[in-house]
Amino acid sequence: MEQRLRHEAKALLEQGKVDWIIGFEPGSLKFTTTPLITKDKNDADRLVINPFIVNNLANFLTEVKGRVGIVVKGCDSRSVVSLIQDNKVVREDVVILGVPCPGIIDLGKVERLVTKDRDELDDIIREGDKVVIRVDGEKKEFPTTQALFDNCLACEFPTPQEYNILLGEPKPAAPNLAQSRENIEKLEGISPGKRWDFWKNELSRCIRCYACRNVCPACFCQRCFVEETEPQWVLPVPRWQDNLIFQIVRNIHVAGRCTDCGECERACPVNIPLRSLTREMYDLVDELFHFKAGMDKDAPSLMTHYEEKEAEEFFR
Amino acid sequence: MAGKKIDKKDIAKLLSQWSQELAVYVPSIESGVATMAKWDGKDTSFLDWYRNTVIPTKASFFPSAEEMFRFQKDNKGYHIELPPSNERKQLIFGVRPCDARALAILDMTFKEAYEDPYYLPKRSSAVLVGLGCTNPYDSCFCTSLGISPAQSTDVDLMLTDIGDEFLIEEITDKGKELIAKATEVKKASKEEEASAKEVKEAAYQKVTRKIDTEGIGDRLLACFDDQDYWERIAAKCISCGICTLLCPTCYCFDINDELVRQQGTRFRSWDSCAFSLYTKMPMENPRAEKWRRVRQKVCHKFKFYPMNFGVIACTGCGRCIRLCPVNWDITQTLESVPVKV
Amino acid sequence: MAVTDISQRERFFARGNVYLPHIIVIEKIIEETPGIRTFHFNFKDEKLREGFTFESGQFGEYSVFGIGEAPFCISSSPTRRDHLEFAVQRVGRVTNALHRLSVGAELGFRGPYGNSFPLDFLLGKNLVFVGGGIGLAPLRSLIWNVIDNRDKYKKIDIIYGARSPADLGFKYDLDAWGKDKTVNMVTTVDRGDETWTGRVGLVPKVLEKVAPSAREAVAIVCGPPIMIRFTFPVLEKLGFTPEQMLTTLEKRMKCGIGKCGRCNIGNVYVCRDGPVFTYAQIKNFVSSEY
Repeated sequence: MEQRLRHEAKALLEQGKVDWIIGFEPGSLKFTTTPLITKDKNDADRLVINPFIVNNLANFLTEVKGRVGIVVKGCDSRSVVSLIQDNKVVREDVVILGVPCPGIIDLGKVERLVTKDRDELDDIIREGDKVVIRVDGEKKEFPTTQALFDNCLACEFPTPQEYNILLGEPKPAAPNLAQSRENIEKLEGISPGKRWDFWKNELSRCIRCYACRNVCPACFCQRCFVEETEPQWVLPVPRWQDNLIFQIVRNIHVAGRCTDCGECERACPVNIPLRSLTREMYDLVDELFHFKAGMDKDAPSLMTHYEEKEAEEFFR
Repeated sequence: MAGKKIDKKDIAKLLSQWSQELAVYVPSIESGVATMAKWDGKDTSFLDWYRNTVIPTKASFFPSAEEMFRFQKDNKGYHIELPPSNERKQLIFGVRPCDARALAILDMTFKEAYEDPYYLPKRSSAVLVGLGCTNPYDSCFCTSLGISPAQSTDVDLMLTDIGDEFLIEEITDKGKELIAKATEVKKASKEEEASAKEVKEAAYQKVTRKIDTEGIGDRLLACFDDQDYWERIAAKCISCGICTLLCPTCYCFDINDELVRQQGTRFRSWDSCAFSLYTKMPMENPRAEKWRRVRQKVCHKFKFYPMNFGVIACTGCGRCIRLCPVNWDITQTLESVPVKV
Repeated sequence: MAVTDISQRERFFARGNVYLPHIIVIEKIIEETPGIRTFHFNFKDEKLREGFTFESGQFGEYSVFGIGEAPFCISSSPTRRDHLEFAVQRVGRVTNALHRLSVGAELGFRGPYGNSFPLDFLLGKNLVFVGGGIGLAPLRSLIWNVIDNRDKYKKIDIIYGARSPADLGFKYDLDAWGKDKTVNMVTTVDRGDETWTGRVGLVPKVLEKVAPSAREAVAIVCGPPIMIRFTFPVLEKLGFTPEQMLTTLEKRMKCGIGKCGRCNIGNVYVCRDGPVFTYAQIKNFVSSEY
């Protein structure tokens, strides 16, 4: 897939079909990739596809000007479509280089499995349905279900549905919703009072770095509601009360456009379980409106559209 | 100066002794996030897993959110009062040399001209017990900034891990006083002192990430107006605040008021030059473009701060590299700055 | 520690807690233009009222408790101390809140901060004041300061303009200076209206026409950034050196004392090393973003 990608990306730039290529290149840390945003066709040789291509590169589409050749996994490609539904991206301006994705390895989970930090590991390789970790000269094997991101475990669309070039064979979906929703189910099983205490505790760690918001392709407002001063909806001070309001409102704002790419939770430097909120919203949207973000580029976006036949149980 | 030592098993006793008069903070982990938290009175398991905290030590003196004062209005007008302060003096156990140096760098800003009345009292009354690294991260680059991972004079006591024991060096009088009455602290032998020296050397060698800081300030100024260069450098940055909020030498803050009917509070909280609206004025925003903000961050740390205070405002702790969601790496940027011919 | 009334501190500069505001009371409000108001105020505490000193060019951080704090220059002259003044253009949260206040309202004040116009450099020189819009606020402090010590300075030219006649603020000043025979008062607007019979033209263009001599002269320019950027080249053409050109720079500010980090231009903090700068200093900033 990698060779094909490099070839295609270079060609796109050479032939002037795109102004930019946005993809992944090896990062500066072990088992890390980093976004590559370039106009230079020679940079295409740096593009990689591996189990560590975490970022949702659709995030850059609302910032980069011009035509873009973009490397996307299943979830990311739906973010691109969601942006098209939002009229933020024009379909003809994007060349979607689709990567059928077998799931991305969660370094946090790997670190917990072998109780070592990322930089202390010799190698992490995916072999079929196993993840092999080499550390201190030893080989340790785990089923992939223990090492992939939670949202990858729930993934129904690993292969991009909307694409210009599919870089490999489509991957079958094998979603394990129960495992992916484990944390959410735990929360739903405790009393509202305890749940409130849980979130109060978690959100006390929040430092309002806004990484969750800034990695999210669905968050593209020039001026986020937290930055509004007239009126000041929320104090830009990292108190748990304000942090809680920030998360709740952000979730409502991205409802129907969030594709559960999991970037918000991964980016959080203080490990707040944000996906317990976003995935819950994702599933609620599906349940209430039978809608999943980014499936049909010609469909209107959920929250900006009203149909008379919609259920209206909430106002009776 | 005769070195001292303490058995690792006796650390809990020492911390207990200190807890009688001081608020003792030790490395703690919650939900996988390492921070300095109030010692619970018994747990010393941090001795096994601790490498460095996510939240830097600055948070102990310059917290992420802080009440500056409270105000109240009655029929006589406004009244202002300071928030109640009943905190004991802090003792922070396990400060890494990079974070300790960072505090010394921060001191310069908070002391200069108008002395900061929130940071300085906490800082001057606190005691720092330094702990040398034995296992630096691959993102650490302290050695390039004149800092040794296992040696520090910015703390009151410096501990070196020599196996089952810590070698203790008394750096300041405050530190001396701390262990003056500690019965668990014994004299160290010459072999133990030599062993500590080896441990420090080994830690130094383990720091493999390096940057060349020779003339870096002037090299940055030379390419200051190269918009193409900075746009390429800034391309993947997402303008969140992780690198700056979690940087031990960053100190930008915001001031905000909260009003609830006739009373309220003025807060100080962490802010970041990386945020898009950081410099926004009503009619213009001098750093509306991302490349200007990234340029500001790098140049402030490696040129502007040294111009004012004579030190680079970076201690190579590597948090920014480890925690950046897009793996933007300041060492890569600094290495890419053209060398003046 | 409860300090019920901060103004009981002995010194109001660096001693004590520099972030705690003093209480000031609004004594008079003048509506200069639909968007600009001038506030006359005094310290609630008598000792401060008498003892407070400042210099032209310095600013204060004014608090609307519960809404926020914002920096405004002190627009009255240190030579006229029965009250103090500041002028506010309504553009955002704090300024809107200020415009909703009435006489008698209490505010917070921290200051004076920043540097000031270098009076000793201006002594014995011809002074050319160039102002636009609300830029007259910092200028008028200096102009009255100079006029109140008239014999220490030589010629005075004042060129002031606004977008339209309705946007001309400080009309009482313009009238007074117009009547002062020792002052050359030139008022202009970018566009006139049906009743305007005065000069029409952008400030830099009018400056070019007035063409004050650069010999033994100092120009002091305050106004919107774009006006300043077009005024400096005109002054250069007239023979002013960068050392002969003064201005005040504006940046978003919070602490006002060089700590919170945001008002910097390179290694210079506008709140601490400014807001008054010469064009020579500006040209020497290590950062080109001003």
